[in-house]
Amino acid sequence: MRFVIEHLMKNFGEKEVLRDVDFSFEEGKIYGLLGRNGAGKTTLFNCINKDIAADGGCFYLEENEKRREPVPEDIGYVLSTPVVPEFLTGREFLKFFIDINEKSIKNPRRTDAYFDDMRIAREDRDKLLKDYSHGMKNKMQMLVNIIARPNILLLDEPLTSLDVVMAEEMKSLLRSLKKGRITIFSTHIMDLALDLCDEIVLLSHGELEVVEKNSTDDHEFKEKIIAALREDGHE
Amino acid sequence: MNKTLRISFSLKNTYRVNSILYSLKQIPIIKKLLPDMLYQAQELKLFANVLSVLWEITSIFLGKAIYFLIMICGGGMLYKDLPESGVFLHILLFLTIIGSFVNTSLFNPTKDKYYAMVLMRMSAREYTLVNYTYAMLKVVVGFLPSVILFGMLQDVPLWVCLFLPLSVSGMKLFAAGLSLRDYEKHRTVYNENKMRRFLWVFLILLLGAAYGLPAAGVILPETVSVCAFLIFIPVGLLCIHKIRIFPLYREMNKELLADMANQMDTSAQMMKTINEEKISDDGSVSSNRKGFEYLNELFIKRHRKILWNATKRIVYVCICLIGFILLLFYLKPEIRQDINERILRFLPYFVFIMYSINRGTGFTQALFMNCDRSLLTFPFYKQPKSILKLFRIRLREIMKINAVPAFVIGAGMALILYASGGTDNPLNYIMLIVAILCMSLFFSMHYLTIYYLLQPYNAETELKSGMYKVITGVTCFFCYMMMQVRLSILFFGFMTIIFCLIYSVAACILVYRFAPKTFKLRM
Repeated sequence: MRFVIEHLMKNFGEKEVLRDVDFSFEEGKIYGLLGRNGAGKTTLFNCINKDIAADGGCFYLEENEKRREPVPEDIGYVLSTPVVPEFLTGREFLKFFIDINEKSIKNPRRTDAYFDDMRIAREDRDKLLKDYSHGMKNKMQMLVNIIARPNILLLDEPLTSLDVVMAEEMKSLLRSLKKGRITIFSTHIMDLALDLCDEIVLLSHGELEVVEKNSTDDHEFKEKIIAALREDGHE
Repeated sequence: MNKTLRISFSLKNTYRVNSILYSLKQIPIIKKLLPDMLYQAQELKLFANVLSVLWEITSIFLGKAIYFLIMICGGGMLYKDLPESGVFLHILLFLTIIGSFVNTSLFNPTKDKYYAMVLMRMSAREYTLVNYTYAMLKVVVGFLPSVILFGMLQDVPLWVCLFLPLSVSGMKLFAAGLSLRDYEKHRTVYNENKMRRFLWVFLILLLGAAYGLPAAGVILPETVSVCAFLIFIPVGLLCIHKIRIFPLYREMNKELLADMANQMDTSAQMMKTINEEKISDDGSVSSNRKGFEYLNELFIKRHRKILWNATKRIVYVCICLIGFILLLFYLKPEIRQDINERILRFLPYFVFIMYSINRGTGFTQALFMNCDRSLLTFPFYKQPKSILKLFRIRLREIMKINAVPAFVIGAGMALILYASGGTDNPLNYIMLIVAILCMSLFFSMHYLTIYYLLQPYNAETELKSGMYKVITGVTCFFCYMMMQVRLSILFFGFMTIIFCLIYSVAACILVYRFAPKTFKLRM
């Protein structure tokens, strides 16, 4: 399976945020999306998730040489600021989510099993989500996105608010999930990107380009990325 | 000093200008005409600057004029038997003392103070003194024309009118001096928006003296008032010294403005907190349903406080009112005839009543803030079939919530009609109930439909859609106009039913066609 974006464009007024995004993502890889502040990473995600309409171009999934437009079930999107329905308890939210997606969730398990996976404490499971901490809300959001097993998983700065232990857990979770899907991970933390991602993709000048690692060591690779980003006209 | 004055002015002016431009950008048609680089456009800025300066000048004089017109002279008109000038001075004296505590400018935590002293680190002492001097000058200059105009109209001698502005600012200076001394001694900063209880009691007593004593026929003799006002001037002058040498402006303002940092981006934050508070924590709430019905049932149960409790209150009030009218019929049978005639022609009036009590806005707002805002980020929730399924469920719920008071009112009106002498055509009774139910159905449908078609809130839960504001405004106006209409129950009721049917069908078609596209988060 491949996820192909062709000539995607998005303007806000006269500002061209996405100029000509042209890229092909492959199954089984985690892509680290780097870009400067305001480069358009969230805009790109919002376009793919169809939260905003693109001004030009298209994107599609290619399986066995057949193209199709991604349907909502194909995409999981974890936002940097977690949003969860505050009036439900963690367990109710999970139950509701499983109910709605019962067709697409293969072998659903008991809710507690999912909570155990995410290491959400027993006493928290029946609390209202409005009383969850930022990190806990983040876990919930990640959890429901993982259960649905989407083909494309978009993660917008997802680990920034987690404590170190939680962040490590989340990283190994993402690694274990990468098989059979495309994971695109936007972050400002370069070490995280280098540690977790199989490919580094830069969003600059409204275009996507891959940074080839080849034989360079980590330090050189970092320098290369920073040099490339520096050119992005924000100086 | 000069520089501080200039900077604090231009700071205040800049954000006032930007607020003007921002509000222009919120008006539906005008916003299309405005350039993207709104805050760069020189001509527009000039225009906003002119408005800003005009506003500054107007605010100096207009506020005071309104104050005199309503609080002093308007209040004074209640006491016709007392000498006008005496009442004028009596009320002004007490209100001046109150004003010197509730309107200090020195102890009012405002945004411009926060920007200047905390964010831009301007010298607190200079900034405070310069702005306070300006505020006091504004008091004197602003008071002068109004006090002369209104004072002379009430037969107050001109020489008294001329020194009154000085007395008012003198009293303000005195109150400021007191509060500064209090800070030096006890390190508790006075905040005019958060007064302590004993001060409240004191001010309420003064307010009672201002308006209550004249009502009892007692006012201070004019000479006493004049002397008091005269004493304020030297007292104020003495306090100027205190204010000038006060060494702790920096510390004091830090404390005064401590809460501002949290308040800055809060209107949205506060909305969120307010809405979260509406969620009941009751542990016994549960549901045995599945999927969207499960979601909906939990939503309704956890928001019982704002949805059903409000409805219940309305019902109780209506039942009491209806009971009261029926009792009145028993006590004063002669009014029956009059009421009977009115009811037969007053049905359009109920459009406004039903508009006022319908829970549509509260319901859709809670829906967005506490539910859709988060769930709309999930792809499964945005699928057309999910959106429409939930629309149907929610329509049913809001109709139920609105229908209960509608039925009580309809039935109550039918009962009143019967008790007041009845009508020849029994169809009138049925029509009253059906038509009022139809009105409630219309409002339920209307608010939910515009919510689904315009989804007016952004992720920060601010109301963003100009179109939404226009439609709710027009709805309000239309309902208000209906109060002027007098038509027979049968005719208007029949029209209501037809209108309601057509509207419902049209709304359903629109929602089914467009909501899957329009019902989403605003980016």
